[in-house]
Amino acid sequence: MKKLVAFFLTLTLLVSLSMAGYAAKPSVGVLWYSFSDTFIATARQCLLNIAKADGTFDLQDADSMGDVPTQTNNLNNMLTQGRDYIVINNINDNDVDNVIQSIVDNGCKVVMANCSAASDETYAANEGKVFLVTSQATQSGTIMGEKLAEYWLANPDADRNGNGKLDYIMLLGFQTHYDTIVRNEYSIAALKEAGIEVNNIGGDIVCDYQRAQAQDKVAALLANYSDDIDAIIACNDDMALGAIEALKAGGFFGDGTYIPVCGVDATAAGQEAVADGTMLVTALNNPIKLSQGIYKVLKLMEAGEEVTTESVDIEGVHVDGAKVWISYIGITKDNLEEAAYDVNTTDF
Amino acid sequence: MKSKTFDTKKFLMNNVLYVIMIVIIITIAFISKGRFLSMRVMRDILNQSSVRVLVALGCMFVILSGQADLSGGRMVGLAAVVSGTLAQQQTYAIKFWPGLPELPVIVPVLVSILLGVAVGLCNGWIVAKLRVPAFLATLGVQMILFGANSLYINKAPNNSQPLGGILQSFKNLGSGNVAGINYIIIIAVVSAVLVHILLTKITMGKQIYAVGGNPEAAKVSGINVFKITLITYAIAGAFYGLAGCLECARTGSATSNYGLSYELDAIASCIVGGCSAGGGVGGVPGVFLGVVIFNVINYGLTFIGLSSYWQYVVKGLIIIAAIAIDVRKYDRKS
Repeated sequence: MKKLVAFFLTLTLLVSLSMAGYAAKPSVGVLWYSFSDTFIATARQCLLNIAKADGTFDLQDADSMGDVPTQTNNLNNMLTQGRDYIVINNINDNDVDNVIQSIVDNGCKVVMANCSAASDETYAANEGKVFLVTSQATQSGTIMGEKLAEYWLANPDADRNGNGKLDYIMLLGFQTHYDTIVRNEYSIAALKEAGIEVNNIGGDIVCDYQRAQAQDKVAALLANYSDDIDAIIACNDDMALGAIEALKAGGFFGDGTYIPVCGVDATAAGQEAVADGTMLVTALNNPIKLSQGIYKVLKLMEAGEEVTTESVDIEGVHVDGAKVWISYIGITKDNLEEAAYDVNTTDF
Repeated sequence: MKSKTFDTKKFLMNNVLYVIMIVIIITIAFISKGRFLSMRVMRDILNQSSVRVLVALGCMFVILSGQADLSGGRMVGLAAVVSGTLAQQQTYAIKFWPGLPELPVIVPVLVSILLGVAVGLCNGWIVAKLRVPAFLATLGVQMILFGANSLYINKAPNNSQPLGGILQSFKNLGSGNVAGINYIIIIAVVSAVLVHILLTKITMGKQIYAVGGNPEAAKVSGINVFKITLITYAIAGAFYGLAGCLECARTGSATSNYGLSYELDAIASCIVGGCSAGGGVGGVPGVFLGVVIFNVINYGLTFIGLSSYWQYVVKGLIIIAAIAIDVRKYDRKS
C-alpha cells in the first residue's frame, strides 16, 4: 500500500512537471492512420520538417496502425496531455462527428487530415475550430477512368477479345478503406461516362495495397483470362507495379503486346514505370501539399486569421468554407515533371 | 484377417492432406473446364510457393524444438528492404546508398541471411537465456524488427518510398529460370531436401526432435538444450533472411510492409502439414505440402475469379478440417 501511494505521488509530481513544460508553446498532437503507409510516411516527415524549421508549435505525432481502438487510445492520451490542436487522419469513419465533437469539447481545435468529411452540422456548430484538409479522393478514380477511356477510344485494337467491352481487372486495397471504395467506383463511372461498356474479370481482388499479393493474383488471372483482359486498374501504384511484373512474366510488354495499367500515388517506382511506358497513368496526391495545407491552417488558426484560398495560398489548393481541398494530378508520360516534389522542403 | 482388407477410412485419415488437395484441384479444374490442369499453372503455383516454403521451413525448426516464432514475417520484410537497398542501379534517382557501387548479387543475399541469423540468435537467446516465453519474446522481436525497418526505409533520400531501380541481375534471381524452372523453385526444393536430410540423418536433427518432444528428458540424456534452441532460431532466421531477399528479387521492390503475417501462414502450413504445435513431431514433406495447398487455394480461387473474401473462408475451413482429422488419427493410435 505504501508503495502504491508513493508511486502515485511520484506520478502526480512527474505529470505536473511535464505539464508545466508544455505551457511554453502551443502544442499540436497529430494522429496518422499508419506510419508504414508510403503516402502517410512522406506527409508525416514533411510536416515534422516544416514544424521543426518554423518552431511555432510543439508538435508530436502518433501511429494509429490502421486500427480504430489504437487511434482512440492515442487521441485520449493527447487530450489528457492538454494539447491545443489535434490533427487527425481519422479512420473511425462510422463515428466521425462524435470523434470530432469530443475533441472540440476538450477545448482543442481540430484539423482533419486526408480523411472523409464530418457532417455539415459539425462544421457549422464549430466554426473556426474544425477544418478539413484533404484531397478529393474521388478525383483519383476519375483520373484513372478518364485516361483509360482516352486510350481505349484512340486504340481500336485495345479490345483484345473483340467483344466490344472493356474487360478489366480491379485490384483493391482494403475492403472498407475509403480510397479503395471511391477509386473503384469513380474509375468505372468515368469509363461509363465516356460511353464505354465495361466487364469486370475476377471479382473483388483484395491485395491490401501490397505488390506481392497483386503480382500473385494477376499471375493467376492471366493464366486463365490471358486473351480477355483489356486493362488493369489498381487502387495504388504498388499493386499496379505488381500487376506489371506479372504481365511481364506472362510475356507482355516485351514484344509489343500491351495492356494498360493504371495506378495512384505517383511513387518514385510508379513514375519510373510511367516513364518506361508500362504504366499508363498514375494519379498524384501530393503529400507535401497535404503537410503544407495542414501547417498553414494551424498557423492561421493560431494567428486568429480567416482560412481562405487566398490566405492558404498553395497552388492547386482551394478552400470551401471549412474544407481545404487539394487537387489530384494525373501523371502520364507527357507531364512526368509535374510529379516531382521535395520531401525535405520546409516551405509552407 | 480384417487388417488386410483395405480400410478406406483409415486411408483417408492418414492421407488427409493429399485428399484435400486433390479434391480442391479437381473442383477448380472442373469449374475452369480443365484449363487449371496446365504446366503454366503448376509452375506459377510452385513459383508463388517458393518464398513461403522457405519461411515455413525456418518456422518448422522452431516448432519442432517445441518453441514458437512470430518474428518470421517481419524478418522477411526487413531482409527484403535491406537486400533491396544493396541492389539498386547506380542511375536510380533516389538511390538509397548513393555512394555505394553496384554490388554482385551474392552480397545482398549473404547480408540478408546473416542478418536473419543474427536476429535468430537474439530470439534464441531471449527464449533460452532470459526464459521469456517464446510467443512473447518473438512478438517483441517482431515489433522491434518492424520499427527498425520503418526507420531504415525512411532514411533520406528514400523517405519511405517503395524501393525502386532494383538491378536486373538481382531481379533475375527471383524471375529467371533454367530449362523453364525458376531459380526460386530450385532454391526452395534444394533447401527442403537439405533440411530433410539434416532432420532425418544427422544427430543434430534428432536432437531437435528430442528437445521438442521432452526437453527435460533431452537435458538428462546430455543434449545441450540451450545450444539447440539457439541453433533452431538461427536456422529459422537464415531462412527468413533468404526468403525476404528472394521476395524483393521476385517482386522487384520492397517496403516495410513486406512479409506481413507470413509467419502466421507459415505456422498454419506447418501445423496443417502435420507438425505438432507442442514440438517433436513433423517433417519436411508435410510442411512442403501444407504450403503448396494454401497456394493452390490462393491461386486457384483467383484463377476462377472467385472473390478474395471466399479465399479466407476456404483457408480457415481447411485449417480446421485438416487439424481436426489429424487429431483423430493420433487418438486412434493411442
